[in-house]
Amino acid sequence: MNEEAEMDARNAAVIMQEARKRAESQLQVRHPALFAALGAVYLFGFGAIWLSVRGQRPYQGPSSAALAPITVVGTLAVIVIAIAVGRATSGVSGASARRRRLQLGSLILGYAGVFALEGGLNAAGASRPVLGVFGAAAPILITGLVLAASSAVSLDRPVFGVGLWLMIVAAVGAYAGPVGVWAVGALAGGLALLLMAAASLVRRPA
Amino acid sequence: MTDDGLDPVIHVPARLRIVVTLATLGEGDDLAFTRLQDMIGLTPGNLITHLRKLEEAGYVRTRKSGSGVTARTGVALTLSGRSALERYSATVRQLLDSASPQ
Repeated sequence: MNEEAEMDARNAAVIMQEARKRAESQLQVRHPALFAALGAVYLFGFGAIWLSVRGQRPYQGPSSAALAPITVVGTLAVIVIAIAVGRATSGVSGASARRRRLQLGSLILGYAGVFALEGGLNAAGASRPVLGVFGAAAPILITGLVLAASSAVSLDRPVFGVGLWLMIVAAVGAYAGPVGVWAVGALAGGLALLLMAAASLVRRPA
Repeated sequence: MTDDGLDPVIHVPARLRIVVTLATLGEGDDLAFTRLQDMIGLTPGNLITHLRKLEEAGYVRTRKSGSGVTARTGVALTLSGRSALERYSATVRQLLDSASPQ
């Protein structure tokens, strides 16, 4: 279009709508990528751990080999999320960039806190089943809490919903015992997130 | 104002796209000139010309930082620019409503 051409109200409305859609799709972090990455961690990572502990009587905890999938999928998820965030936020500077750094810091500190608390519980003589429930449920709770709290600032309802759902999964999973909590995390957490990723992909404007 | 009551500073396709794009940023954020150029699809010279007009009207502010390879020019919509876009959008809606058959 000639940049100095006359345009009527209808043209202006079309240009505004297209520019807004394009800007939002380019400047916002893609929900499908975020949800799918997190979902894969829970489904495959927690699923592999559940497979390794499901027959244990008494509960001993996951083997080292069972931790390999969650390490690999977790690393891939971090890469996918970093790329999605990097693409959306490239060139954007200011308050939102500072907010993102604080969110990431909160998440890292939250996970570090989980490990520290687990160590404290172990030192206080907590049994393996108690440590198992805590080790599985607490990271889900932390992830959910950080997602819900950070999305409240940006009024991002889908992410808030995922955060809330993860907190519910953590709370309900804790009652499923040291073996069941991994299955609840894998299915209720992982499958639900992958379904949400698919749903956001379908709803996403072209 | 144009005959239709539309703000002539915004009522140019390229400037309208610039203002709408910047309006999707959060408050307190700015967008690098190069990213804005990619998103709008204008040559640097054209973009500078349009930004200058918007800046003269007080609708955008540009801020340079760094030097050499780290040099960056950030572009942001001002509060006045946001208000102008809201007024412009409202006028466009009114015009479309009045033009549509009852």
